[in-house]
Amino acid sequence: MPDAPAWAAGVCAGLHAAGSRHVVYVPDNPLSHVLRVLGERYADVRTTVATREEEAFGIAAGLYLGGARPTVMLQSSGLGNSLNAITSLLVPYQIPALIVISMRGDAGEWNDAQVPMGRAVRPICDAIGVPHTTIDRADAAEDIVRLTGQSAFGTRTPGACLLARRMTVPSPAPSRERA
Amino acid sequence: MNRLDATRVLIAALAGEPVVASLGHPAYDLVAVRDRPANFYTWGSMGLASSIGLGLAMARPDARVFVVDGDGSLLMNLGSLATIGWVNPRNLVVIVWDNAAYATTGGQDTATAHGADLAAAAKAMGITAAAAVRDERELEAAIGRATASDGPWIIVAKVEESAPTAKPPLDCVFIKQRFMAAIGNPEPATSGTS
Repeated sequence: MPDAPAWAAGVCAGLHAAGSRHVVYVPDNPLSHVLRVLGERYADVRTTVATREEEAFGIAAGLYLGGARPTVMLQSSGLGNSLNAITSLLVPYQIPALIVISMRGDAGEWNDAQVPMGRAVRPICDAIGVPHTTIDRADAAEDIVRLTGQSAFGTRTPGACLLARRMTVPSPAPSRERA
Repeated sequence: MNRLDATRVLIAALAGEPVVASLGHPAYDLVAVRDRPANFYTWGSMGLASSIGLGLAMARPDARVFVVDGDGSLLMNLGSLATIGWVNPRNLVVIVWDNAAYATTGGQDTATAHGADLAAAAKAMGITAAAAVRDERELEAAIGRATASDGPWIIVAKVEESAPTAKPPLDCVFIKQRFMAAIGNPEPATSGTS
């Protein structure tokens, strides 16, 4: 199996450095790299699959109430499924979570059905009071995830890292030379 | 058995165990019986009480975690049963007050009034310790088994409405901080810093 991409290793190092030992998730393709790194290198991180993103945030809230620092991983499409949990549980109770969102619908997207929510992710996060930082370079991933987690758990506010599709699904530019 | 009486049976069986309450009438009856610091009242996030309980049970394997859910709420998050069946936490007890109605919103029927069986659904999702109870004696016995043996437990208690009049504290952060302190992991931000 090829080595995991550097951005995925950075996400794992960052969440671990922020003290998170529980990752609750609904999978998508790029996130599979993160899950593989966690499985291979982070035996102390427990991963739990939820059937739906809203459920993942409920589990994360319970983990926090029990003294843990939860990470929730989802695809941008699942943010829509999460809104009632974030706005009526995490935000009013000041229950933090480190949120890692694999973006669809941004540059490079081919699927029409991913575009509207992809376009809406940032305005939605702003509207509901969830700070967010976009990660589009692998060498920044560890720092941004770690700092987002530190701010989230330090200020008791959920905080999101958005993984840009052009980082997670690299697409080499076509050669300018004629074959 | 109405839901308030059933809630009394539960609280009488508990010491300091955490109880996570679904919003609306399950939370209202819980506070009416006793406003325990180890009660976590939700004011929103319908459907997620069992998920919150699952996360708490995972973080605190040393504690036996109780959830009081409603039939309408659990129907909103049936996937939670599949996740609980998979994670299989021995220390989680989910009690569903099944009045076959959305009582908090005016008494509209839920699917359990028309054949949906939540205890059977739990069993189908791999939760073997699932029980349906119809009176206080059966409920007390089921809670006794759930306290003495490994779960996860799903206890579906058929109840009548009890027209609750009490409501939990309104301050969500107060509810959280009091709860976390009561169960032995106070929120770090509530103590002094060095």
